[in-house]
Amino acid sequence: MSSALEAQPLEAVTSRAPRPATVRRRRRRRAARAAWNLLGLAVFAVMVFPVFWMISTAFKPDVEITSLTPTWLTTSPTLDHFRDAMDPQQHPGFWDAVKNSLVVVGITVVLSIVLAFLAAVALAKYRFTGRKLFVVLMIGILMLPAVGLVIPLYVVLARYGLTNQEDPLPTGALAGLIVTLLAFLLPFAVWTLRGFVLGVPRELEEAAMVDGSSRLGAFLRILLPLVAPGLVATSIFVFITAWNEYIFANVILSSQSNHTLTIWLSYFTGTSRNTDWGALMAASTLTAIPVVIFFLLVQRRIAFGLTAGSVKG
Amino acid sequence: MNVRHFAAAALVAALAVMAIGATGASGRSSADTLTVWLQVDAQSGWPDVVAAATAQFKSQNPGWDVDVQYQTWGTHLGKFDATLAGGNAPDVIEMGNTEMTKYMAAGAFQDLSGASFPNQSTWLEGLAASGRYLGKTYGVPYYAGSRVVTYRTDLFRQAGIKRLPTSLAQYTAAARKLAARNKAKNFSPVYIAGTDWYVAMSFVADFGGTIAVQNSKGGWVGTLDRPKALAGLAAFKKFFNAASRASKVTDEARPQPYDVYSRGGAASMIGPGWFSCCVGTHKAATGQFVMPSHTKGQPMPGFLGGSDLAVPIGADRDKATAWIRAFTDNASMTALRAKGNIPNTTSMLGSSVNERAARRSWFVPTAKHWVSVENGNILRTMLARILTNKMTIKQAAEVASDNIAFTLNQR
Amino acid sequence: MTGTAAETGAPRSRRRRSFAVRGLLRGSVPYLLVAPVLLVIAAVLGYPLYKLVTLSFQQYGLPELIQRKGTWIGLDNYESVLRDEIFWDTLVRTIVFTAACVGLTIGVGTLLALLLVQVSPWVRVLLTGGLVLVWSMPPVVAVQVWYWMTNFENGVVNYVLTELGIGDYSQHDWYATTFSKLAMVTLLVVWAAIPFVTITVYAGLAQVPRELVEAAEIDGAGPVRVFRDVTFPILKPILLILTSLSIIWDFGVFTQPYLLIGASHLDATNYLMGVYVYIEGYGHSDFGRGAAISMLMLLMVVALSVVYVRRMVRMEDVR
Repeated sequence: MSSALEAQPLEAVTSRAPRPATVRRRRRRRAARAAWNLLGLAVFAVMVFPVFWMISTAFKPDVEITSLTPTWLTTSPTLDHFRDAMDPQQHPGFWDAVKNSLVVVGITVVLSIVLAFLAAVALAKYRFTGRKLFVVLMIGILMLPAVGLVIPLYVVLARYGLTNQEDPLPTGALAGLIVTLLAFLLPFAVWTLRGFVLGVPRELEEAAMVDGSSRLGAFLRILLPLVAPGLVATSIFVFITAWNEYIFANVILSSQSNHTLTIWLSYFTGTSRNTDWGALMAASTLTAIPVVIFFLLVQRRIAFGLTAGSVKG
Repeated sequence: MNVRHFAAAALVAALAVMAIGATGASGRSSADTLTVWLQVDAQSGWPDVVAAATAQFKSQNPGWDVDVQYQTWGTHLGKFDATLAGGNAPDVIEMGNTEMTKYMAAGAFQDLSGASFPNQSTWLEGLAASGRYLGKTYGVPYYAGSRVVTYRTDLFRQAGIKRLPTSLAQYTAAARKLAARNKAKNFSPVYIAGTDWYVAMSFVADFGGTIAVQNSKGGWVGTLDRPKALAGLAAFKKFFNAASRASKVTDEARPQPYDVYSRGGAASMIGPGWFSCCVGTHKAATGQFVMPSHTKGQPMPGFLGGSDLAVPIGADRDKATAWIRAFTDNASMTALRAKGNIPNTTSMLGSSVNERAARRSWFVPTAKHWVSVENGNILRTMLARILTNKMTIKQAAEVASDNIAFTLNQR
Repeated sequence: MTGTAAETGAPRSRRRRSFAVRGLLRGSVPYLLVAPVLLVIAAVLGYPLYKLVTLSFQQYGLPELIQRKGTWIGLDNYESVLRDEIFWDTLVRTIVFTAACVGLTIGVGTLLALLLVQVSPWVRVLLTGGLVLVWSMPPVVAVQVWYWMTNFENGVVNYVLTELGIGDYSQHDWYATTFSKLAMVTLLVVWAAIPFVTITVYAGLAQVPRELVEAAEIDGAGPVRVFRDVTFPILKPILLILTSLSIIWDFGVFTQPYLLIGASHLDATNYLMGVYVYIEGYGHSDFGRGAAISMLMLLMVVALSVVYVRRMVRMEDVR
């Protein structure tokens, strides 16, 4: 860039020892950086506080949870709540729920990314009749009030045999949940991925065509690495939303062997008796672990990828 | 290139996902599985009773299987609605006794009047009434719980209370002694949440009042503004002011009375019997007694909370009732009683505090829109107004009566 | 295959045929690509949408649900809702609530994204990780923790405020007035929504060419002007997307207000549209009325977000 070229002669002229002005500038920059870091840490502390409270409560003995003076970090941590949360007598079905959640969310993420990506490419790179309508449809679905659709949707799924009340393969209900999640998450994924795909410069695509390969094929080969970060960012959103999905999952899945973690969690507050808050906090902490793991696995891709492919103005 | 193949493959994948599940019968569960919806309380409280009933049913009906699906309060009705719409409702469902009327009126259940059940002639009237509509029986009583006083034996002893109160006046006097001995701010000799209408309506029932009655034409009339009910409300206000330092506008879940109790903020509390589970460090010094009436020697009528078992339309009535019979027989009731519940028959009522309290009980009006009255917080608003003196008792009761009548008389 | 027939020197007639065939195939590609998405959506949502619309014109309560047959009553449901004063009060309240939530979410979210740019990498990873943790907390649990933090008896917030000497907040009830109830809900909703905005805006910020920023700085522009003239125009499309999504989500929010305010304290003075449709429709098992309110809500959301959505739909022509 031009500015870098201009800087060269100047640096060539200056001697090896940095001038006082440069030192001052560097020190000011470091001080500024340190100030920003401090602010960043303060923001972190405030934002994450409720999560910290949840995790800290999971380790507190019961008496500290209900006491009038709040305890920040307990001095007598206990693992009882975690034990209770996973106890098959008190809260049966934990591991089944883990398996079901992973299966449902895993399939949903993969399918939604694949299907949405194809549609996004079509929307971004092709002119075809109905294109605008399709885009409007996508955002229209995002605007639908979900609560009104629960019962009619259940009726549809029941007709296809995709709910829990049908005898055969218990996978039916899980499949029913997956297609429901897809129906609601695909519009968002298409919308977002379209933005990322739109950001890929035309020149790259045209360069690929000269190569002698088919337009779409080469395009995809070039496009994928550039859009991969966008795919990752979208997949995180889909993952988290599917993971926390409750309304539809609750209606579609009835038998305990089919429950997802979110439904399993709702049983902690669903009895007519008291709620074991410590165990609930422990259980919530447990349900957050897979999400964190997923994030850690893909976050490196994000850092790079979020920097490329967003919509250009 | 292979992109079109890829797109086609994705299409197939989407279809496959739906096909996986659709490989099976459409419509209701197949002829040899009985689907039972019980609340999760059964799973954590008495799974052995459920297992025994299922085993008994299976041995009597070879070839049949039982799928018990545990539900949570708060979501099970929404799910039930969905299955009713989808035509695949369960064969047996546990309903809260306050939830029954709306669904009976809507035709959700099958008429069980012809079938016979164990101890039918001695069913607890409070529960049995909730399962009847227009003269027909739709619900079988399952179990009940009443309200009792859970108290700190040590604090009562400290305050010099030698005998447990057997009348409201004695209890009020005891409360004063407790207050004198425990001067901490916000300490409640008797913790009652301001808008705890279960307790307030107990006072109303104690004086012979009612919430609403049906006139000869079947319409509902609010009766909280009648003299007996007003007397009850006045007694409630007097007792509350003497004995409870709870917030006048709070409900009985925020905070939970047993949390206040376990923190040492109360010497006694009125609530279901299971409250004794969660009293923290005071477990050893906790006992229970029956809430006394203003008439010496009588228990104050307690709200009889409980569940019924019903058979939704579309179910196999014979098999469903067979299972219910197995689940509500004497053996089951004995086991339920052992777990601290009130059995569904007076013939088995013992002398535990819970059961003695159940000898006098009251119930909400069996109107199909009663749930709307609860959801509209009509009673809570009335109590808050009374306790905070925003309105006189008579005014607040009149407003509430009008609202209740209006709500119950909706189409 | 494409565009190279002329270069390969194939005979003219074959070339024309290949072009024709290729054109047809190429023409069908986009439809094939969007077909799976359309298929899933149509199969799952087609009938429910149709049912939702038709239900809004019917008398459909619990008895009708059980008999699977409703009575046609035309616009009666709509009339009853539009005549209901509570509906209009709730609508206004929800619009104000949405404006506050969206404004705070986008504003604070963007500021945090700007902060992310300025801090050292290790702080950045820490902050991003923390935001993801916040993002993934189940709403039900978040509400419960929020309630613990803010309840008047033993909430941490009161404790901290009193200890810091800001005032005597012990036993202060943050849910005493309607305004404070809704303020608590707003804070909770904004808190949970910030991570998504921050992470997405940060992605967009990384797109801003350093050269432009440096050029502006050399010209003597302060940070505010740099933001306004250089950064903001590039961020605009992302902010448009985020704003419209936030409007849609915040307008219909249900779980947080319903659980935080609590069923026994919810009444016409503090309804939000999401809660209103649930209570007035489904809470009374009046599915017809609930459907009508849902349709009206859809109309409102469209009206509130049409400006942003229009701009985004048009954006693809800019290519």
